[in-house]
Amino acid sequence: MFRNTREGLALALPAAIFSTLLFLVPVGILLSEAFRFEGGWSLQGYIDFFATPLNRTVFLRTLKLGALVAGTAAVIGYAAAFCIVNLGPRARGTVFGMVVLPLMISPVARTYAWIVILGRTGIVNEAITGLGLSDTPLRLLFTETAVFLGLLQLFLPLMIISLVSAMENIPRDVIPAARVLGASWLAVFFKVILPLTKEGLVIGGTLVFTGSLTAYITPAILGGSKVLMLETLLYQRVNVSNDFVSASVIAMILIVMSFSANLLLKKIASARS
Amino acid sequence: MSDAFVQLSDVTLMYGKSVAVPDLNLSIREGELICLLGPSGCGKTTTMRAIAGLLDPASGSIHIDGRDVTRVPANKRGIGLVFQSYALFPHLNAFENVAFGLRLQKLPEAEIRERTEAGLATVGLKGYDKRKPAEMSGGQQQRLALARSLVMKPKVLLLDEPLSNLDARLRLEMRTELQRVQKETGVTMVFVTHDQAEALALADRIVLMKEGKIEQLGTPADLYARPETAFAAEFMGFENIFRVEGSKVVTDSGTLELGFAPASPLLAWRPDGVSVGSGPHQGRVLATSFAGAHREYVLDTPLGPVKADAAIELPEVAIGETLAFDLPEATARPLSA
Amino acid sequence: MNTSSRLLANWVILGLTLTFLIGPFLIIILAGASDTSYLAFPPEGLTLRWYLKVFTVESFRASFLLSMALAVFGTLAALLLGVPAAYALNRYALPGAETVRTVVAAPIIVPGIIVGLALLRYLVVPTGVTVTLALFMAHTALVLPYAVRVVSSSMHNLRADMEEAAVLLGCSRFQAFTKVVLPNIRGGVLAAFILGFVTSFNQVPVSLFLSGPGVRTLPIDMLAYMEITFDPSVAALSALLAFMSLAIVFVAERLLGFSRYV
Repeated sequence: MFRNTREGLALALPAAIFSTLLFLVPVGILLSEAFRFEGGWSLQGYIDFFATPLNRTVFLRTLKLGALVAGTAAVIGYAAAFCIVNLGPRARGTVFGMVVLPLMISPVARTYAWIVILGRTGIVNEAITGLGLSDTPLRLLFTETAVFLGLLQLFLPLMIISLVSAMENIPRDVIPAARVLGASWLAVFFKVILPLTKEGLVIGGTLVFTGSLTAYITPAILGGSKVLMLETLLYQRVNVSNDFVSASVIAMILIVMSFSANLLLKKIASARS
Repeated sequence: MSDAFVQLSDVTLMYGKSVAVPDLNLSIREGELICLLGPSGCGKTTTMRAIAGLLDPASGSIHIDGRDVTRVPANKRGIGLVFQSYALFPHLNAFENVAFGLRLQKLPEAEIRERTEAGLATVGLKGYDKRKPAEMSGGQQQRLALARSLVMKPKVLLLDEPLSNLDARLRLEMRTELQRVQKETGVTMVFVTHDQAEALALADRIVLMKEGKIEQLGTPADLYARPETAFAAEFMGFENIFRVEGSKVVTDSGTLELGFAPASPLLAWRPDGVSVGSGPHQGRVLATSFAGAHREYVLDTPLGPVKADAAIELPEVAIGETLAFDLPEATARPLSA
Repeated sequence: MNTSSRLLANWVILGLTLTFLIGPFLIIILAGASDTSYLAFPPEGLTLRWYLKVFTVESFRASFLLSMALAVFGTLAALLLGVPAAYALNRYALPGAETVRTVVAAPIIVPGIIVGLALLRYLVVPTGVTVTLALFMAHTALVLPYAVRVVSSSMHNLRADMEEAAVLLGCSRFQAFTKVVLPNIRGGVLAAFILGFVTSFNQVPVSLFLSGPGVRTLPIDMLAYMEITFDPSVAALSALLAFMSLAIVFVAERLLGFSRYV
């Protein structure tokens, strides 16, 4: 009864065609722009892009911040996930809910909080001047640290969620068994927990890394033009200098990264089932 | 074929590019309970789906009650199907599940109520109207699925392994229940199963299927006593099947002299057809188990293992000891190759 | 370590993590109530005037309505495309099903800013399509992957033989869908709507380039506002938006156990 292919395609194709026309085609043209040079095809766009020191700095900074955020999220994520898994069922649900909730809230709102915290009249500076550590307020906004904190707060929940679901799959008595066999907590972590939650770590890490790479709001609000990242650089290139070739190069970098991360996730997902 | 109520003529059924059932001919009489029996993948469920109209034959025709329904869509065929999973509607209560088809016919509310309640009563679910399927036991869900099909007064009621999800006790109970419902309603039933005991107990006739073809068709008594092929014999509990060469039976491990020369290429014995305690042959006991009315032995013989049932009065022979046995001509079932 | 000190350590770690994740919201709520014309924390005096001012800023009102309309109609359109697609992907052995899946999921993989730019340059500029329509289509496409995924997963446990049973009882294929499939995936469709709504409403990068005179989504408008004005009204608005999201998610969770679909 469900073998009528034409009927199935009629149902599935509108969505596919819509996505193709609105996504694949325009994005494809945009990506091709960097390869067009004086009427022919060339890599000149890419060569020029990476020849500019600022572009290189932004490229490397984006990778660096992405990796830092992912790494820090992993450390905090393991501690938090371990604690959550150890809770009773009711407390676990509540705490897990509190971890997930921020994901539903506008990233603008989430990032704006850091202006309140790190701004000239923000809580940190009030404390520093109040304690007499410094006479003038420190410049905390528009630093890499600010962007780092904003991104970490934005994406940490993704890491915790991935690790909690990975840890829930650890057989119940494995950790006590390892302890009984004489493993120190450090050994338990590296020899038992880490290998058993590797997939969750990779999934969470990829989500956080690509999330940080392709974030716009956080670097825009907390980094400004002082701490550009790839997305804010793209915006500047288009809006300030009408430079669509650079935009196309940046788009390619972001898509390649995002796409390979997605492939990795798919591979993990299919290896598991 | 004048008495055929359901007639499948040269029906070929395909799944994609692979043929599941080639050129099937089958006639079913009105009011009979026919059982499609066979291992999984033998085409029994496929055949049933074709009768229901859920699968269009690649060629051939299907007639029901004298009408060619080959191209009639499933929702216009007037056939009931009780699914293996019951396929109850989880969002509707028992009453609404049963009334579902009646409502589609836009019958007056009073008639819907009356027929639905009667349907629930027939399967012993009176008073369960408000329950959702999830709040019912497996047996009750089964009855509900049956009632949902029966209230439609189908020309043919198809049942796809309806007892396979029930525990042993419920299964026996539902068997008698199904027979009772069939006698009461007189509906023509086609029952699909892989369980030969179920088929033997329930069916008026059994269609034994193998690889999309009918291996043998007959009454339960027929099939039980006179299987024609090794496949049928095995399905009917003939556990000792051997090749014949002259007056010997042969397996890959060895031969045994029979003392008579059969005409058929294969011979088969049920375990209770092998005589134990006396006879020309010796076998070493490999395993033994008590089965109430008899004792089951597995004997190591020149033919390999032979299964034999011994009367319970005979003294038990321990594992490792030898036991005399015979493969008598009287209980041998000749089979075609 | 004994049990009680382990328990303590457990809660200390969780407390710190949750403070980091949730604390900023509490700060925003209070910062929005500061009786100063600049952003201050701790708040100097408490007032509701910034919370009230938010409602009087003309551009906020317009952009809120635009964001609302985009989120509602974009998500509805995505469901209109996504529910049949999810159904087809679950029920039919389609040739190229994997391709369809990948294409429909593409909007998740491609960063929004690129989509917005591409649509501006190759749809709005050459064809003269209005920015509002482009925004609507972009948001629809953005929500589509979520719609397909969430509806798919709620359809996954729905066995095909239920529809066959309905057909044998006299339903047409379409009736089988509306009478049997739809009532059973209602929760999933609602969850997809809520997830799509929140995603679209909070979305920034896609809308970044797709703005014109008088056409700005709320988050973009907030970004623009905070560049010129430094009063606590953006904090107040952020707090209000957070409350709105929380209320939606809370109601959804209560009504249909939303979290099992996400």
